Amino acid sequence: MPGLAAASVLTRNFYAADAKSTDGEWKFRTDSGSLLSTDNCRFVSQTILQRIADGDQSAVQDCIKSYGGLVWSLARRMLRNTEDAEDAVQEIFLDVWKNAERFDPAQASETTFVAMIARRRLIDRIRHVQRRISADSLDEILAEPSTRDDKVLQTNVEAREAAKALDQLRPEQRQVLQLSIVHGLSHQEIADATGLPLGTVKTHARRGIIQVREILGLGETAGRKEVSV
Amino acid sequence: MTNNMEEKLLDLLCDQAASGLNEDERLQLEKLSAGANSDMDAQSLELAAAAIMMAEMGAIEAMPSHLEASIAAAAGKYFTAKGSESSIHESIHDQPTKAFKWQETRPSRSFFDWFGWAIAAAACVALIGTFIYEQNRIGDLQAKVMQLTPTPVVEETLAQKRDRLKKEAADVTRAEWTKGNVKDSEGVMGEVVWSDEKQEGYMTFRGLPVNDANKEAYQLWIFEDGKLEPHPKDGGVFNVSSDGEVVVAIKAKLKTNAPKAFAVTIEKPGGVVVSDRTKIAALAPVKTA
Repeated sequence: MPGLAAASVLTRNFYAADAKSTDGEWKFRTDSGSLLSTDNCRFVSQTILQRIADGDQSAVQDCIKSYGGLVWSLARRMLRNTEDAEDAVQEIFLDVWKNAERFDPAQASETTFVAMIARRRLIDRIRHVQRRISADSLDEILAEPSTRDDKVLQTNVEAREAAKALDQLRPEQRQVLQLSIVHGLSHQEIADATGLPLGTVKTHARRGIIQVREILGLGETAGRKEVSV
Repeated sequence: MTNNMEEKLLDLLCDQAASGLNEDERLQLEKLSAGANSDMDAQSLELAAAAIMMAEMGAIEAMPSHLEASIAAAAGKYFTAKGSESSIHESIHDQPTKAFKWQETRPSRSFFDWFGWAIAAAACVALIGTFIYEQNRIGDLQAKVMQLTPTPVVEETLAQKRDRLKKEAADVTRAEWTKGNVKDSEGVMGEVVWSDEKQEGYMTFRGLPVNDANKEAYQLWIFEDGKLEPHPKDGGVFNVSSDGEVVVAIKAKLKTNAPKAFAVTIEKPGGVVVSDRTKIAALAPVKTA
């Protein structure tokens, strides 16, 4: 089928503006300028990460523009100084290029996937810093569990959805997840700090994270799609 | 794999996503994962953790342009090294492209075209008539609603809320603001009040300098007795936009009990997770009886 044969070309650079519906049938412009009918095939626009995985270097700028703010904001919120944050952001983007081919739009949005890569790197750094700090003087630290500004301020839809999911948890579950996931405290540290038994801390963390996963439908192969037309 | 083993595996995957594993746990996970398809679970839990982190992130800041340029340059090197620049992408874009034109056919106008226009015109007249009728009806309804709408309740000011809390709460903790370590904090005065029972509190400042919200923000930290030290709780980020008395509501993100001290630091806009405590604008230790 000609439509299907051309789909691999079309999906590299498809924009909504290039599509037009006539008589209820969608038609698309290919890179060569010819008009394609959808026939019985479904066109799926490639995500930025899929383009990167295919070696499309033009997708790098799109990636930086789309996720630069997210990654930078996460780094600024979690690391102590600007220099650390800048180093981390560079490492995170390198990780993003390297892991682009592992992105599966059926499991999560691209934003969440990028945030996951960012988190791995930031948690590594935070734990390193905390070890370094504890070796110095605890008295010099003013650290705090995660904070959440007004949801109105959050500009990405995934953050808002996740905030709503968190709001559905029990307060103790939410607190434990905030301390562990955002602030990087170990379960033992959380138990020491909150006075909760270690087993209870673990139970809250496990139930909480599983509940959030279910509410957001993450990792469901037949679940959400990133972009489809 | 038995149910117990599956449960243990899920526990370990949750722990791994939430706070990482120690060496023993990592070994257990390796052992249990062997032969089990746990990759999907592991990643979905990590994605959930990432989503939670985004929820706690607050406002998104733009990345500095020099950093953007540096990442783009690094990407160039990475892709060159990977040798993928001449992949499918180039081969597609090297092809000559033609301007895209929608296929438009203009058949000669028939009787049915003109008939269609006549129907459309009649429909427009009918629509205008309906519109005028509806406007009149809406006007009547609005007048009725205006009559029924009660006088709006004036929302309490922060100062009134503070005063009400002081009056009504039986467990109000009070502390007086004193200067911090920045020069401009010399004249800071006022008090902070907090109720554990209501989980509500207010700060009153006099002499706290107006801040440039584009460059910095004030952030409150709450120290509890023995709990989470040295991890005080975040009491919220705020700005001061006028001289004179300023009342600010405390926005404690976590349940707060028996605060022993309050500190206001100067941070970047949006606040921080970890403060380096270089700029303290005000301190308020709670005096014990």
